[in-house]
Amino acid sequence: MAVVAADRAAGERRSARRGGRAGGSGPRLRRADHLAGWAFVSPAVLLIGVFGLVPVVWSLLLSFQQTDLTSPGTWTGAANYQKMVHDPVFWQAARQTLVYCVLFVPITMLLAIPIAVLLNQKVRGMTFYRMAVYVPLVTSTVATGVIFSWLLNPQFGLVNAALGKVGLPQQGFFQSTGEALPAVVMMTVWGWLGFAVIIYLSALQNVPRELMEAAALDGCGRVRAFWKVELPLLAPASSFLLVWLTINALQLFDEVYVTTKGGPLHASTVLVYYLYQQAFVDFDGGYAAAIGSALFVVILAVTMVQLWLSRRASHYEGN
Amino acid sequence: MAMAATLALGAVAACSGGGGSGSSHGATIFWHGYTGPEAKEIAALGQEWNQAHPNQKVNVTFAGSNDDALKKTLGAFVSGKTPGVAYEFGSSITTLAKRPQTQDLTSLVKGAPDFKWDDFFPAARQAATTPDGKIYGVPALVDNLALVYNKKLFDAAGLSYPTASWTWTDFQNAARKLTDAGKKQYGWAYVNDGTEDTVWRFLALLWQAGGDLLTPDGKKAAFDSPAGLSAMQLLHDMSVTDHSVYLDGGDQQYLNLFNSGKIGMLWTGPWDLGSITKDVSYGVQILPGKVTHATIAGPDVYMMFNKSDRATAWAFLQWLTSPEVHVRFSIATGDLPLRQSETQLPAYQQFLKKYPGDKVFVDNLAKNATKSRPNIPEYSKISQALGLAVQAVLLGKAQPQAALDQARDQVNSIMAGA
Repeated sequence: MAVVAADRAAGERRSARRGGRAGGSGPRLRRADHLAGWAFVSPAVLLIGVFGLVPVVWSLLLSFQQTDLTSPGTWTGAANYQKMVHDPVFWQAARQTLVYCVLFVPITMLLAIPIAVLLNQKVRGMTFYRMAVYVPLVTSTVATGVIFSWLLNPQFGLVNAALGKVGLPQQGFFQSTGEALPAVVMMTVWGWLGFAVIIYLSALQNVPRELMEAAALDGCGRVRAFWKVELPLLAPASSFLLVWLTINALQLFDEVYVTTKGGPLHASTVLVYYLYQQAFVDFDGGYAAAIGSALFVVILAVTMVQLWLSRRASHYEGN
Repeated sequence: MAMAATLALGAVAACSGGGGSGSSHGATIFWHGYTGPEAKEIAALGQEWNQAHPNQKVNVTFAGSNDDALKKTLGAFVSGKTPGVAYEFGSSITTLAKRPQTQDLTSLVKGAPDFKWDDFFPAARQAATTPDGKIYGVPALVDNLALVYNKKLFDAAGLSYPTASWTWTDFQNAARKLTDAGKKQYGWAYVNDGTEDTVWRFLALLWQAGGDLLTPDGKKAAFDSPAGLSAMQLLHDMSVTDHSVYLDGGDQQYLNLFNSGKIGMLWTGPWDLGSITKDVSYGVQILPGKVTHATIAGPDVYMMFNKSDRATAWAFLQWLTSPEVHVRFSIATGDLPLRQSETQLPAYQQFLKKYPGDKVFVDNLAKNATKSRPNIPEYSKISQALGLAVQAVLLGKAQPQAALDQARDQVNSIMAGA
């Protein structure tokens, strides 16, 4: 998004230079224009309102109730939030969500840059390589989960068989309390890498050729040009990925549901999975909504950071 | 036998008429999650009923996997389009019993002596009844656990096949001898995902040792007894000390591994027998014992949710679960009989001939499946606490006594309403 915003900002600046915007802007907008404007955005406003805002507000209201989601609830004030503060499993899930983010986001980004650089070369069959990197992203999570469960099966999986062949110790993966979460990280990095690569690749291709030529003329080698010219220009893409991947990481659910079911012994229970368990296994809708609200606040904070970062990034590009 | 009652009720139904919520063209909606041969047979039975009862039509509808039946039913309550009858897991009864839509069947059952309620196997009846004695369901399925073993692996290890008088020690020793780390071969498999699948096998062990889940008044945990400890200790010894147990993480690979000769024994139910491949020669025996050879049943029920088509729904369920009709369903699907009288029918011999492995499970129903899980709303949370305890012991993360103590404290606070 930041990339798009930055591009748009740059585009507007260019068109402004070419001779100013078309008339009709400014404070003297006519009433009919106002109505027409609202008419144009109303489908989007309606959709976002019904499927975005209403559920958010409703869930906030639910979080102050004791409800099983199907019969009318009773108001219990802040009881759900009090319960949350004193619930060790909630804190464990929060901690594990954080650990997951801290592992998943940087690993995905750091792996994506070299792959994007490789995919930015002119080699025969490049379309195939690019597609191969992107395929995991469009593969169904359930299929991915089932296959990873089998690959990482401690007794009969291929991965342990390979480790055994080269004399490395056997791992427990999804069935070990210490390795379940890292195994989920591994699986999701595999799944999301293609997305990060595509973003970096498009950023690399947007690097102006003049800059690279100028660097070459000034006697700058290919490797140095990467560090000094290309990498700094990847900053907007990085800030976008940082936020986008973090928000996705905070909402991790499918992969856990398909592979570990939050186990063993809660070792891979993350916030959204815990929320699901409270709402749809224990039918404690109020408590689940409270967890959801807490998560909402965190994601809101991350989004604020995104806005701030993207503004900074576009300033950087403008200079 | 049930015909007289059916006809009488039919007249009532004709007066009350259809058109209630959730009925289409006057037919009572019957939700099920059957697939394969079960789906085919229930559809055929529905058709047969409709031809014989044009005024009491039933619309047999597949409503998605039974795993989601509870969620779907609760969703239907919100939308107002409730089915007349739905197939539900036994464990869902307590959640559903609290709802105004759910029909209390006590008076119907008591008022229909021809229905012969006591003819149903005890585990099935208990699963349909709440602790206050009210009946909310008609038994739809009774499963239970028995020992299924691979004869070839027993022969190769020089072991004689399990007998009906096998003790825990016999079982543990056999599992150890069937285990071969080099060949990645295990004596036993245990589903270790911490769900009810983990818990119910532990409950069978607990009952075998003479223990129980809750105190007789149903108010406190009772599994932290010597019996509970011996059950946990057995799991610990087999999994952590002997390494003779394949721990299944919940992806249910144990059956594939059993099929490929990697696992010697399973504690499983009749539903798995159909998936054992032809080349595996297997035997079925009752579970090993300590004080008893108790097994645990996983009974499911048909429940009714519409006052308006109550009469039709009840008439259909009586017919569907009558011995003569249900034995046909059993023959077509391999589901166990629901009623003791079904085993007296000539058709039952046909069932045994078609599903020889099922005999032990049927005998189990009369002899060893006498206890059942308490039908209380707190059960799902109790199960989660116990699931964690069993999991911790199997993984060697907790000692048996410590795990029991922790689970006891959790269960006691759940029962105290915390």
